[in-house]
Amino acid sequence: MKPGITIFHGDNAQGKTSILEAMCVLLRLQSPRSSALADCILFEKNAFAIGGNLVTDAGDESDMRMQYSSGGRKLLIDDEMQKRSADYINHSALVVWMANDDLALVRAGGDGRRRYLDFMASQLFPTYRPALRAYDKAMRSRNFLLKRDASPKWPEIDAYTKILADQALIVTRIRRELLTKLTPFAEQAQRTISGRDEKLGIEYLSKSGENDDLAAELLSRRSEEYGRRITVAGPHRDDFTMVINGRPAAKFASEGQQRTLALALKLAQTELFLSLREQPPILLIDDVFGELDVTRRNALMNAWPKTSQKLITTTNLDWLDGDFSGAARVEICDGIATIA
Amino acid sequence: MAQVDYPEPVKVLIAQLKRLPGVGPKSAERIAVWLMQRGREMTGPFSEALEKAGELVLECGTCGFFATAEKGCAICDGLGRDDSVMCVVEQPTDILPLERSGAFRGQYHALRGKISPLDNVGPEDLRIGELVARLKRGSYSELILALSADVEGEATSNYLVEVLGQVGKELKITRLAQGISVGGGLESVDELTLFRALEGRVGM
Repeated sequence: MKPGITIFHGDNAQGKTSILEAMCVLLRLQSPRSSALADCILFEKNAFAIGGNLVTDAGDESDMRMQYSSGGRKLLIDDEMQKRSADYINHSALVVWMANDDLALVRAGGDGRRRYLDFMASQLFPTYRPALRAYDKAMRSRNFLLKRDASPKWPEIDAYTKILADQALIVTRIRRELLTKLTPFAEQAQRTISGRDEKLGIEYLSKSGENDDLAAELLSRRSEEYGRRITVAGPHRDDFTMVINGRPAAKFASEGQQRTLALALKLAQTELFLSLREQPPILLIDDVFGELDVTRRNALMNAWPKTSQKLITTTNLDWLDGDFSGAARVEICDGIATIA
Repeated sequence: MAQVDYPEPVKVLIAQLKRLPGVGPKSAERIAVWLMQRGREMTGPFSEALEKAGELVLECGTCGFFATAEKGCAICDGLGRDDSVMCVVEQPTDILPLERSGAFRGQYHALRGKISPLDNVGPEDLRIGELVARLKRGSYSELILALSADVEGEATSNYLVEVLGQVGKELKITRLAQGISVGGGLESVDELTLFRALEGRVGM
């Protein structure tokens, strides 16, 4: 790929998004579209592998490879096996993913917003991924125990409650810190794109109870857990709200404001990465351009870091103009890429 | 024409070897052929050793370590051990590294696993009842939990603390510290370990 802009074009269902997703998985070991890597395996197959060359601005080149199967995964940098995924990821580049369904960040349920936070936090805070994984495992075990017995065995369940509470504290603390750092960038982006003095407020909503004391919260809601047989509180239910000029954006903002906000959140992520790390993030932009109006398109192009590599998919090329004269083009047809 | 294959006894041997941990079909075949090619000189002592180990080695009913009927358990029947502290481990094989460290001369108790509901392992599958009985019988002042530092290991530790809290108020329950391994630089330590090491720092 060339350093600047590369455009992947082709009809629907030819494999454009899959190429972007593969790059994302290779660089970050996670997909922005799915929480389980197993979902990335082709139907009727049992493994996948991705490889690529990463070249930094300084010109350092390294060969990155990942192999994944139900039996485990292998990570290689320059043919050297990486035992810990943290070593592999630290060597890699930061990624910002933009897609058409970003609007769901504003409109839909908390799932997408948590995924947005998780994707960002895993890239910035090395303790986040292990904490989230341990939390997830403890919660699955706990839910299993809640469902297993007619009369729940609380000593066994509470052996997991403690782990859940410890990891929840790490997860919640990092997410809060992240949002605090992100908000000024999001506010700035919202103003720039809308061209109006819109005031944006973002607030984290913890479902871990008072002072984020999840152990105490779960203890006080024992009868509810007895009834529902599921872990009723914790970061897996946390969310954040966005308010424009004092009104909740999900309900009261116009469609235009919502689209602006969704874009602002992603631009804020880019700005945050730039301010915290020296290396500009790689922008993976899936099918966004065809949908943007001129104002937002220009806002996006003015705001994205000049030094970032941008990889863009699109079905039509109508919107291409002089700004993209230097862009490389790749046509995707039935999973085969042809460089123009 | 029928396909030519190894004679039946070799096939049986390969099938048995394949059941060993970490041995796949290829390795099983290689080991079997290697044994066959060396003949009775190799297979005689080998099968005798296998036979004896299977016949004579028992699990110590007290601590769970390996024992023989003839000599008993090297730990429980050993002399000069501190009967006031006990160390709980997952597997009997975890006892040996602790012994080699020379830092501990008390009693041991191997649970033979850890709680993992998703793998269908519950407290009733572990030697927890035996542990409670031992603690009630003896006069222990400290119980050291030396289980693995993953989710299941920690859940097992938490569960033991809950269950054993009722055994006696005099019993002090501790767990191993977590931190940086000796002889390593900071650059090779993962962040979570570093985090725990900082939390557990000691004055100098």
